[in-house]
Amino acid sequence: MNGLSRLLLAGIAFSIMGGAAFADAIKVGVIGPMSGPFALYGQNFKMGIDAWVAEHGSKVAGHDVEFIYRDEGTPNPAHSKALAQELLVKDKVDYLAGAYFTPDAMAIAPLLAEAKTPLVVMNAATSSITTKSPYIVRTSFTMWQNAVPAAKAAKAAGAKKVAIAVSDYGPGIDALDGFKKTFEGEGGSVVESIRMPLSTTDFGPIMQRIKDSGADMIFTFLPSGPPTLGFVKAYIDNGLKAQGVKLISTGDVVPDPDLAAIGDAGVGILSTYHYSVAHDSPENKAFLAQIAKDGAKVGEVTMTAVAAYDGARLIYKMIEATDGKRDPDKALAAVKGMQWTSPRGPVSIDPETRHITQNVYLRKVENVDGKLVNKEIETYKDQPDWGLEKH
Amino acid sequence: MSLAPARFPMGLSIPLGAELAALAAVGLLGVVGYVVFPDDLAFLTRLISITLLVLSLDLVTGYCGVATLGQAALFGVAAYAAGNACIAGLTNPFLLLIVGMLAGVVTGILSGLLIGRFRGLQQLVLSIAFGELVAALANKLTPWTGGSDGLSGITPAPVFGVFDFDLYGRTPYWLSVGTLAIVMAALAAFVRSPFSLTCEAIRDDDLRARMIGLAVYPRLIAMYAVSGAVAGAGGALTAITTGVVGLDSVSFERSAEVLVMLVLGGAGRLWGALMGAILFQVFEHYVTTSNPYSWLALVGLMLIAIVVFAPGGLMRGVDLARRRWMRRRA
Amino acid sequence: MALTLLSLIIDAVSYGMALFIISIGLSIMMGLMRVVNLAHGAFAMIGGYFASYALVSLGAPYLVAALIAVIGTIIVSIPFELLLYRRIYRKSDSLTQLLLTIGITFFIIGVMNFVFGPTVKPIPLPPWLSGPVDIGFRMVPAHRIFVVICGALTALALWVLFDRTDFGVRLRAAVDDSDMAESLGIRTDVLYLLTFALAVGLAAFGGVVGAELLPIEPYYALRYMVIFLVVVSVGGAGSIAGALAASFLLGLADTTGKYFMPEYGDFFFYAAVIAIVFLFPNGLLGREPA
Repeated sequence: MNGLSRLLLAGIAFSIMGGAAFADAIKVGVIGPMSGPFALYGQNFKMGIDAWVAEHGSKVAGHDVEFIYRDEGTPNPAHSKALAQELLVKDKVDYLAGAYFTPDAMAIAPLLAEAKTPLVVMNAATSSITTKSPYIVRTSFTMWQNAVPAAKAAKAAGAKKVAIAVSDYGPGIDALDGFKKTFEGEGGSVVESIRMPLSTTDFGPIMQRIKDSGADMIFTFLPSGPPTLGFVKAYIDNGLKAQGVKLISTGDVVPDPDLAAIGDAGVGILSTYHYSVAHDSPENKAFLAQIAKDGAKVGEVTMTAVAAYDGARLIYKMIEATDGKRDPDKALAAVKGMQWTSPRGPVSIDPETRHITQNVYLRKVENVDGKLVNKEIETYKDQPDWGLEKH
Repeated sequence: MSLAPARFPMGLSIPLGAELAALAAVGLLGVVGYVVFPDDLAFLTRLISITLLVLSLDLVTGYCGVATLGQAALFGVAAYAAGNACIAGLTNPFLLLIVGMLAGVVTGILSGLLIGRFRGLQQLVLSIAFGELVAALANKLTPWTGGSDGLSGITPAPVFGVFDFDLYGRTPYWLSVGTLAIVMAALAAFVRSPFSLTCEAIRDDDLRARMIGLAVYPRLIAMYAVSGAVAGAGGALTAITTGVVGLDSVSFERSAEVLVMLVLGGAGRLWGALMGAILFQVFEHYVTTSNPYSWLALVGLMLIAIVVFAPGGLMRGVDLARRRWMRRRA
Repeated sequence: MALTLLSLIIDAVSYGMALFIISIGLSIMMGLMRVVNLAHGAFAMIGGYFASYALVSLGAPYLVAALIAVIGTIIVSIPFELLLYRRIYRKSDSLTQLLLTIGITFFIIGVMNFVFGPTVKPIPLPPWLSGPVDIGFRMVPAHRIFVVICGALTALALWVLFDRTDFGVRLRAAVDDSDMAESLGIRTDVLYLLTFALAVGLAAFGGVVGAELLPIEPYYALRYMVIFLVVVSVGGAGSIAGALAASFLLGLADTTGKYFMPEYGDFFFYAAVIAIVFLFPNGLLGREPA
């Protein structure tokens, strides 16, 4: 029976170590994709949080704050729920944060009431997430939030007939709905509404269909990675760009790290997004400088870094408001309606939806000093989560 | 005797011995899990759902020799079925398990009809095509599956009306342990049945099996039905215990992952499947936290090592050890 | 309408040709060594990475980079052949082959992820291959025309190799009856090694020229593996004409599906695959396995 007692001893040792010496420390469990195809975004969570902690220290109102990271991997609600439960029960975290994918955030939501723990969503962009629990607050964006201004920008740019081509899954359909409703509401006409399978690599036939529809502008959304590059290249190589058909998308299609891969042919592509690394503001400059100081590459900064940075601000505010005690209602009350200037611009937390209201910028891909950037050319102020407004 | 004699180390022969041993062993494992890892019950619950899928794969791959990369379809469809049933108002967890198993059986039969027809590359391609077809449907049929956002809002009623599905995860854990124990016991009896033995004959040499008059195709479909029931139980469990069903439950990655687990433990042996599933997932739980990129490379190396050095998986090692122990006794 | 159809056919042909160049190697391996090499896509991917590195970091011209990719991939693949693939030649246990080659695929993905990172690696096209070409009624991307030409040349070269050379004669002998071939003095192990190198080289070449359609990133090996398998399965192992026909057919199915009913794209593609396998169990032009 030696083996069994050894096993028990190991188990006890582990649980003691898990408890740790930080009896007073406030723990924040961050669930994000640390490995796999989306690892860059999870690492950006860490970059943003580290930047905030470097600037504001790791103590709030006398309490030490500790961030614990867990790997979300790929969308897997059972796995994420298990991670959340482990963080809540074993590590006894006071706050949960992160959640890159929607199904994962949905799986965590039911736990929050019983655990009396707030969740700061730092990416998952489906509007209905914040309605799943009163303890959820989100600092990222939603598809509707970015798609509605895109439609307005399209109208302002003089587009009359738009072809919509989106990837056929949740966020794509949200983008399609948001754009279509707004554009048609402003008097424009959507001549084509294409939902492309996620596995599509050859966009030639799609371009053909768009051409046949006679559209003067294309609105698109695809998940960043091989699909976006393929789409943009097909747009250029099939002569649509040369024919004067403009391309507008949400910023997910032209993330800053991918611009180099798209190359000079991408100059002129319009996108609407809540954050660009090229955003010209003192807060953004300080933010990027801090990230560079921490050793991360500025060329790898994505929107999740800024969402995490602002999320850390919210967490600090919540800790301060509750003086480190577990009181989710008080915590949420403290951040509802909160306003500040983020590296992305002025933002606030909508007290009704608990989602971040922010400026959405119309950007154009331009060559600035030999580097391709998303240059902001127009601002749509204080955009709420249109997806929740309409419902 | 209608069942082949169970192999027992001490030469004992107890009626229903193998079945009771299965129940006892899983129960014991369940207790160990509860005592040693009381804060990790959510992870262990998920582990058990996947283990059921691995067992179902063992039935068709290990016992029938079907090379398939589309097994997750049986699991995922059952999960969605149970999820929808729960949302529609059927909240008794046991009834949901039954719904899952039925859905699994139907999907299994469909799967068997397609995949059982061929061998070799055709079989593999069909299995992948079937799996991907189901995944594509799951993505499209948003009212039933929630698409890529997942099917959420699954709130089962307390077990026996008393045990709640709470944060600590004790109820889902014991429900899962109980389901696994019963399934293992049932399978322990099943794999010693004449039907199962004929399937093994087909796996070993299907030409010869045909020559002694065994109808191959119907048997494969029947085995797929049983496999579907097991996978369905796992799928229903994941829906009930997680509250959300995502597209990952029908994904190609899931199918490939369980094949790896099966091979690690040893295909063709129930205990091999169980061992492989548990060891792989526990190992993954502790390793991925430290070394993300290398994990896939590690799994690849492991697969290569198993194929080259230990084709029977870990179970073969256990068998060799046992044989050596028995020889020492003799 | 006719113009649109013609346009679609052009798209289908170019997509099909990219698939053909990559998949023909797999078909040859299946035909001769009876190996279902799920790692075939991984070798194509390695070729893409070599080319990307050569083009971006070494500044080599496009065709030189392609050559480096082919040679580099063959060299990298030799240890796999000697140590691992030899064990599974001509053994009919598909499960073992599946497991070994998937293991190799995972390993290669992990290593590529580690060495090159998770982002898509560009294979910058030279100016004479970029941009649209006006062929009268529509614009076709220049590199697609290039892919079609490459595919045609590859098919022609392979046909000459198999039908008109000594190597080809020995190869076909070994395919038909390897024991007999060996007793006639044909060194089958050398033959297998050369064929493996040929298959891998073709894969690498296909990976490079097809990179516009199939972008190079670590999960390439798994992502497109299904498509390559389907081409070989539908075309019949070991048949050049079959692989060509299958590539066109699948290219056409994919292209027309995407044009007319994109939202059902995936569903119809896989349903079509299932239907084709049932209708043509030995592939479109293949033979019963010996």
